[in-house]
Amino acid sequence: MHSKHDISVQSNTITHQIHEASDPSDAKEDRHAKDPSASIRRYPHSSAGTSRIPRGVLVTGATTPAGIELIRSFLLEPHVERIIAVGAEKQAPMLEPWLGERLRYLCLDLTRERSLRQLLFGEVAQGGVDTVIHTASHRWARHRGSKIHSLNVDATRQLLQICEQQPSIERFIYRGFGEVYDISAEYPLLIEEDHALHLSPHTPQWVRDRVEADMMVCMRMGMSRLQVVVLRCAECVAPDTGSQLYDYLSSRVCFQPLGFDPMLNLLSLPDLTRALFLAAHVQEQGIFNIPGKDTLPLSAVIERSQRLHLYAPGPLVSWLYQARSWTRRNKDFRYDLNRERFHLSAILDGSRASLILGYQPQHPILWSDLFP
Amino acid sequence: MAEQSISERVLEHILPEAWERQIEELQFQDAGYGYDAFGLNKEWMRWSFAILRPLYETWFRTSSRGAERIPPTGGAILAANHSGVLPFDGMILYMDVLRNTHPPRIVRPVVDYFVSHLPFVSTFFSRMGVVGGSRGNVEHLLRRGELLQLFPEGVPGIRKPFSERYKLRPFRVGHVEMAIRYGVPVIPVAVLGAEEQFLKIADIPFKIFGAPYLPIFFPPFPMPVHYHIYYGQPLDFSTRYKTEDADNPQILEQCAAEVQASVAALIARGLHERDGVFG
Repeated sequence: MHSKHDISVQSNTITHQIHEASDPSDAKEDRHAKDPSASIRRYPHSSAGTSRIPRGVLVTGATTPAGIELIRSFLLEPHVERIIAVGAEKQAPMLEPWLGERLRYLCLDLTRERSLRQLLFGEVAQGGVDTVIHTASHRWARHRGSKIHSLNVDATRQLLQICEQQPSIERFIYRGFGEVYDISAEYPLLIEEDHALHLSPHTPQWVRDRVEADMMVCMRMGMSRLQVVVLRCAECVAPDTGSQLYDYLSSRVCFQPLGFDPMLNLLSLPDLTRALFLAAHVQEQGIFNIPGKDTLPLSAVIERSQRLHLYAPGPLVSWLYQARSWTRRNKDFRYDLNRERFHLSAILDGSRASLILGYQPQHPILWSDLFP
Repeated sequence: MAEQSISERVLEHILPEAWERQIEELQFQDAGYGYDAFGLNKEWMRWSFAILRPLYETWFRTSSRGAERIPPTGGAILAANHSGVLPFDGMILYMDVLRNTHPPRIVRPVVDYFVSHLPFVSTFFSRMGVVGGSRGNVEHLLRRGELLQLFPEGVPGIRKPFSERYKLRPFRVGHVEMAIRYGVPVIPVAVLGAEEQFLKIADIPFKIFGAPYLPIFFPPFPMPVHYHIYYGQPLDFSTRYKTEDADNPQILEQCAAEVQASVAALIARGLHERDGVFG
């Protein structure tokens, strides 16, 4: 939920709220919160790209698992003098141990242009922030409508436009999605950055918004004074990340289309964070695919998640998941969003990210931790 | 010693050691879980070879000549004639390459798009290393130094009537374009026997799963014809042409015609040397 308040600043004086962990990854986050130094990964940054040193960073989507991990990584960098974390939640208990002069948390409605202007020309300008990492997007595929579109697309456009006007900002990094690519038997299985995009008029809003935001950011490359970067990330299978596959695998029984077992590439949370972090440390702009370490068939994914695996004809699988969405409102998996990739293999080719950002997937998904 | 599962014991009985060794020594780019990015998996290969080996050895009694001409490493394209109503020629050629190359090489057959839409077949093919015929897939595999199997006649080759057996359809140019662009040799291959395995009666324009037609043939299973495979001298176009010549349509036509002539010569030799269809 977005706060009605434009900006509400949290400080380290806020009473720490004990967060009830609902799953093991949350429990892990809590352990991290209690011992701030215990969990932070420090990422070496070396690449063929020209290196740069960010002095100040603005991170949107700061209360998501990726946002929290990313902020923790920047905290370990002594050259990063200022981190401004922006989220939709009023408080960010996971960041509280570090809140202070160096790290500020702001609750902000990104869809309100006035709020963005106040932020960019206020806190951000004063803090000498030179890098914006935009990771905020709506996470629930079952939600649709103009408000969702506004957050996914309009907020991105406005943020980018205001960043262009604010002189301290040098680099804009957009966390994109591999879902923007069209999957078809006629296209290569290994997806490079110039692959066809999912632009069918029948594309669900969840994908369409992502394509629109992605294209809009890409359009500014070379036209803007900013260094613009789009990271098209493979699906990050983790809770609270909007992962369709995580929701699919959270059921005890997983239905798979009979006769099809496509190859999938999946990204772990540490690798997603690492890619965002590395993108802030080079000067080159462009579009980069961010693949994960895990490349395996759908059946192996289900097996590793220790779920009961049942095959059914595709139309029946579609109907079953439609029925599930009617009866269990908290379930977010939509078969229509995943139909193509449940039939045809599609793997992101991360050669460009490897060459320029120095990104290589390193951390496999810990299936037993994710689905105990 | 760990106790073997029933399936492992069964596999040990039905897959001879020589085949097992070839699969074991096979080099492929494991993406981490025993599969490569295209879905190739050695365990599936073991089972498939165990089940299909009688077709290769006993039913079709396959014999081949010139497999030593396949380079032991690096990218290359096998360009063969296509026939036989159902693509048994591709399967037998695939098995023959693995059986007769030292160190063993896996050939990646390149197939039409519609195959990816076929339930079971698409999964089976992907586990065996078959790839969809998109340009990107072919380029990626050649950059990785893989051995590709292409039928430059395409669907018209396998669709031709029995009366026109061993008459090649015009070769398309895609394979020579890739060969010039990536500096890899084209190895002409003749497959004899496949042309006579079925008697095609008719084609039904029944476009299920995107397939171009549904063939009606007799008998319902392939006849026990004798397969002969001839591997020709590699044609290295990169010594004659520069990379940018891959964009010249006339050069591509000439090169494709050269490959076609080489395959035709191998077919003529095979027809002369063989002792009848079943001999």
